[in-house]
Amino acid sequence: MARAQKPKQSRRPQAKSLKQNNLRGFAKRQSLKSQRSSKYSESSDVYEYQPENVRRSKVKLQLEKDELDGARRDISGSEDEDDGPKRNGLRPRLVGENDDEGGLGSDEDEEIDSDEAFDESDEERFAGFNFSTKKRSLQSRTVPLIDLNEDEVELEEAPSENASASEGEDSAADDEEEGDPEDFIDVLDMIDGKGPAESADEGEHTQKEERPSASKARVEGDDVPHLEDEDEDMHDEEDEGISSDESEEDESHISPMDDAISASGDEDDDVGTSLHDLQSFITNLDAGQKRKAPDDEAAPTTETGEARRQKRRMLKERTEAGEENEFAPHRGATKLNLDDLLNPLASSSSNLLSLKKSAKILTSISAKNQTLSAPLPQRTQERLDREAAYQQTKEEVDKWSATMKKIKEAEHLSFPLQAQPAGRTSNLELAAKFKPTTELESAVDRLLKSAKMREEDIAQTESLKMNHLSVEEVSARRAELAKMRELMFRAEAKAKRVAKIKSKTYRRIKKKEKAKIAAKLGEGSDDEDMNEETRMKHEVERARERATLKHKNTGKWAKAMRARGDLDEDQRRDISEMLSRGEKLRRRIQGIGSGDESEEGEDDTEDDEEGAADRIKASAFEELAQLDKGSEGEEDSGRKGKSIFEMKFMKDAIARDQQRAKQMADDFVREMGESNHEDDEDDELTGGRIEESSGATIERVGGRVTYRPGAQQSQLRTVNSLASDTSSITLRSNDLPSDVARSVTPSATSPIPEKLGIATEAPNPWLAPRQDPAKAVPKKHEIAVSKDSASVEKSKNKLRKKAQKHEEEQSKARNDAAVDISMSNVMTLGDNSSAGPSKPKTRSQSGNQRDDGDDDSDVHSEVEEQERLLDRKGKGKANGVKAFEQRDLVARAFAGDNVVRDFAEAKRREMQEDAPKEVDTTLPGWGSWGGTGTRKAQPKPHLIKKVAGVDPTTRADYKKAHVIISEKRDKKAAKYMVKDLPYPYTSKAQFERSMDIPIGTEWNTRVGFQRGTLPKIVTKPGTVINPLEKLL
Amino acid sequence: MVKISVLQHAPSTHLPARPGDPTPTSRNLDPLMHPFARARERTRALNAVKMERIFAKPFIAALEGHVDAVETMARKPGTLNVVASGSWDGGMIGKISGVCFADEDRLLTCGVDRNVKLWDTREVDENGAGPSDVRKPLNVFPGKSAFNSIDHHRTDPIFATASNIVQIWDETKSAPISNLSFPTSIETISAIKFNLSESSVLASIGSDRTFTLYDIRTGKAERRIVMQMRSNALSWSPTFPTTILLASEDHNLYTFDIRSLKTPSQIYKAHVAAVMSCDWSPTGHQFVSGGWDRTVRIWQEGRGTAPEVYHTKRMQRVTSTLFTSDAKYVLSGSDDGNIRIWKARAHEKLGILDSRERAAIEYRESLKQKWKTDAQVNKISRTRHIPKPVHKAGQLKRTMLEAQRVKEERRRKHTRAGESKPTAEKRKVVIAEQS
Repeated sequence: MARAQKPKQSRRPQAKSLKQNNLRGFAKRQSLKSQRSSKYSESSDVYEYQPENVRRSKVKLQLEKDELDGARRDISGSEDEDDGPKRNGLRPRLVGENDDEGGLGSDEDEEIDSDEAFDESDEERFAGFNFSTKKRSLQSRTVPLIDLNEDEVELEEAPSENASASEGEDSAADDEEEGDPEDFIDVLDMIDGKGPAESADEGEHTQKEERPSASKARVEGDDVPHLEDEDEDMHDEEDEGISSDESEEDESHISPMDDAISASGDEDDDVGTSLHDLQSFITNLDAGQKRKAPDDEAAPTTETGEARRQKRRMLKERTEAGEENEFAPHRGATKLNLDDLLNPLASSSSNLLSLKKSAKILTSISAKNQTLSAPLPQRTQERLDREAAYQQTKEEVDKWSATMKKIKEAEHLSFPLQAQPAGRTSNLELAAKFKPTTELESAVDRLLKSAKMREEDIAQTESLKMNHLSVEEVSARRAELAKMRELMFRAEAKAKRVAKIKSKTYRRIKKKEKAKIAAKLGEGSDDEDMNEETRMKHEVERARERATLKHKNTGKWAKAMRARGDLDEDQRRDISEMLSRGEKLRRRIQGIGSGDESEEGEDDTEDDEEGAADRIKASAFEELAQLDKGSEGEEDSGRKGKSIFEMKFMKDAIARDQQRAKQMADDFVREMGESNHEDDEDDELTGGRIEESSGATIERVGGRVTYRPGAQQSQLRTVNSLASDTSSITLRSNDLPSDVARSVTPSATSPIPEKLGIATEAPNPWLAPRQDPAKAVPKKHEIAVSKDSASVEKSKNKLRKKAQKHEEEQSKARNDAAVDISMSNVMTLGDNSSAGPSKPKTRSQSGNQRDDGDDDSDVHSEVEEQERLLDRKGKGKANGVKAFEQRDLVARAFAGDNVVRDFAEAKRREMQEDAPKEVDTTLPGWGSWGGTGTRKAQPKPHLIKKVAGVDPTTRADYKKAHVIISEKRDKKAAKYMVKDLPYPYTSKAQFERSMDIPIGTEWNTRVGFQRGTLPKIVTKPGTVINPLEKLL
Repeated sequence: MVKISVLQHAPSTHLPARPGDPTPTSRNLDPLMHPFARARERTRALNAVKMERIFAKPFIAALEGHVDAVETMARKPGTLNVVASGSWDGGMIGKISGVCFADEDRLLTCGVDRNVKLWDTREVDENGAGPSDVRKPLNVFPGKSAFNSIDHHRTDPIFATASNIVQIWDETKSAPISNLSFPTSIETISAIKFNLSESSVLASIGSDRTFTLYDIRTGKAERRIVMQMRSNALSWSPTFPTTILLASEDHNLYTFDIRSLKTPSQIYKAHVAAVMSCDWSPTGHQFVSGGWDRTVRIWQEGRGTAPEVYHTKRMQRVTSTLFTSDAKYVLSGSDDGNIRIWKARAHEKLGILDSRERAAIEYRESLKQKWKTDAQVNKISRTRHIPKPVHKAGQLKRTMLEAQRVKEERRRKHTRAGESKPTAEKRKVVIAEQS
């Protein structure tokens, strides 16, 4: 190629050294490359060649990678085989170039090769970009903008760039020799970055012959700073610069060196001098890499004038070192990563993590496909926006949902809903606000102030008083106060309670006590003897008075009557009544002490006291008796229900409890009435009466002597109570001794009527069940007694037992019969009184019964039912005869009661009435011939009235033999029926309940009525109701 | 000692403690003692419902003045007794199509003259013009096309107009501050309303059978639904901010929840011709609608049938309806140029009630409520006397609907099993929901 000739000649001497340097540099680089590759993983990408990559102005970074790639390849020259098969694709061209330059020295070949190769390949790959004129015009338009960008970026790196730019390949080699290994990376990086620039320069040198003028013409318009450069070099540079602004700037930076080179090129002949120049230049650079000015000053050896130099200097400051063409905004073999920037920060780890995190995103983004996706079509975009906006509005509106729900569910709403609440002012508020305005107010205030009685003053004074008291004193005071208060409270409570007592006796006693106290107070310090004496006297007086019934006239009323003198009839009658009453009383007393009237008087006093004791005892016994009764009553009632208390173990437990209670009661009775009964029993044993054996018997004379029971019957009494004593009258009158015995034995303490009932009820089958519990009790009772009682009683018990055994056998048989018939057995499942084995039978029976009910074949009469039951029971026991007797009894009781048949008949009649029928409404004699000889005509169809009725098979009670369900419609009741369940209700029961409760005043309290009738929505007339407002 | 027992009457037990208090009653509240409570209450309910019908006289007054159909009405905020109305005879050129109050004293009107005008409504306005003088508007906002509707923001000095697009105006600026329109829509917007509680949301209805939702915060038309028939009026519920009511050409009214526009939340069927206007009661539990069928109907929210029906002999097609701010009265403007005032509850007694009377009224009301399931009570309360044409139209409509139903049923019967399923009435309303 002709164009290559000239620069080749000029550079030959350089080329040799370059070649050597290249080689050495390459070796170094290779070794470092491996290191770096491990360090920067991304750097590996850099070497991938992408021939079909289309350049865009936006995506500079990526392209630069490629450019770098190309540059490196050029620098490394033919040794770059390791770059892979893709590179091989480029090879042929390189070879072709070589061939062209084959004529030239073989040693130069490599150098030229590399240079040329770069150019060629670059031209190839970035044909449309760098060198084609077509693109140039396009890019020239964008120049200014891009220029600025570049400036900004590269100003920072200016010094190093400059240095590296000026260095060139040779300097790189020098560096390798001189520098310590740490420097290598940087330098190599620089070289890598710079390489393309350098080679580009050279490429331009080769190119410049091709289109010198044209490009020049173009450049002049574009690039003002270069206008002064008349050099061929400059032309080249401008050429480059136009093609890409970066390269242009590169050129401007490199220009000193270029100048040097070109100068040497100009003085083509003396190669040695030029080489020397170069070397000196390089050494200069080496000495002070960062000294730009010296470099510039070193440059003036060239023909360029001072002005030009200044221009250049200016340019230098403005832009970057020479490698800054379109290939190399960054010169490193690797891209500058975020990691590179972050690594120095590693020490400050806390911030770093977060920074790295955010950086990661950046790197990931940058690592991805860097072209932005094409914007969506406008309509789609808008739709998405609308969708988002709608969601937003929905969310906003949805904030009302809670409020709306509340309003919907409210039972009562009073509009306006958001009315301002009329705040109530409290007393405190008013007091705080208060300021005396009128004369009176201010006067009062003044007074209060002077008296220190105002609220705040009071608090102050109180605190002052309490100030000089110790803690103990305060607490003591408080305790004292509390105690006093407590005492007062109690006293008050007691007084209240006492005041409520209505008992006259209590009052009397109280009065006496008071009198006593008063007397005591009056006597004060009198001797005890005196006291005793006076008391005795008093007592005697009292006794006498009572004995003579003198006091009948000593009452207040009587005295008053006497005092009045003349009396009217009523009063007289009253008095006489009183007298007669007194007489009666006296007579009665005389009657009691029939024989011993003489003693009467003496006993009187004692009688009073003893009588009281007796009364108490009697009441206690009575209570016991009642308790017993109550327990029996409970048993009776308990039988009815089918509760847990019906179960056997429960019953046993209850019985045991009762036993214990009874025992206790008996013990008590024994203790209290010991003497009595012993006396009685003594009597019984002796068969006579010893009245006067002890004083105690005399006391109890009242009504008992005469009523004492006979000996033969009292044999059976064991631990008799007073109550049973009294009952003996009736018992005696009974003809059946065995019955009597039975009735007495079960429970000594049980009251009379119960026993009587039991005694008489035995033959009555309908009352039989009641006996069961009573039956269970006696046995146990006996045992209990025998265990605990004294030996005397034990013997008695034995006697009684003998008698009872026989008795029990009899009663058992009777009971069985009674139980069998009992109604409750039919109704309830398992009765406790019946033995265990009978239970399952009863159950099965009930099952049968149900079956029968289902098939409805017949209705069982109760008699039959009972009979069956009897059969079953009778199997085990030998009481069949008795059972049949019972049955007869029942049959006799219900003779002529054909309930079932009657019921069936009634139902049949009902069905017949309701059934559909045809009624012949023909009036005889109308519409037909009369007289003799006329045949009876068929009833005319229109006169036959059909009554729809209810078909028996469609009746509700069809196949239900035991009920009659009326099919008649009750019109009056129909009013209150609804066809379907109304809307808000979910069940019939719910609806019925709501209709059940009336809401009127007649059936509700006033408040209930008001609440029940409160309307759902209340509006005040004349009030503006504003829409709901957002309250912030 | 003679004890004397006297019959004692403590007045406190049987007389009111203070004058005016209710007389204390002593009654046995045991339900067993009142076996006829039910029967008595039923009779009372029956009487109550009869009384209701007897005293149902809803018409109060007719306000004359317009010579043509009353197109629109607006109530003055904060007052009960002032209402503005716009009519076909309104402006110099063409009708007044929209009226709304900007605040208590100023009124905005728009019409087919392509201007929005701001008026002073005080007795004597700023220019000194009294009630009898011809007034001049305070401000005129010129538009490019005829306006169909106008509505003012509840709090801000912003109003929206509807023409072929929705425009938002500032009271202080003569040009609209923003245009809102659903892209690809070339319809005429017939009405527009701001939401009352969520006041940045507004909705419009258009001639393209559409309902469109806007938000001035996002500045977009957010969603649009296309229905079977076009709507004639719309109204936002004052207590349920998500609910909007549409009066449709297909004789029905629909409430929609704007959170889900796929189906209406309720259909209100009773009109026998197109519904021309609607308005919510301030309580949000009732609304009024006026129809082409010359009736005014008052509906209970959530109850799709059996509204109260008002009509008079001379009332023509009802083109605008309005509830007053105290929810007690209803106004209807009709084709005959009159505005009529009705009671919102036909049988309500006007005037002051004393407590006993109020208690009795409340008792009657709750009795009616309780016994409404009773056939007799229900029948009486349901029965309305309506004009013969309306009645006939109703009958005809019923027949037609029935025929349609039958046809549909038959068609379904003769298609392959499971191939055509009946669709719910609610699902038929919205044809498309567009975003």
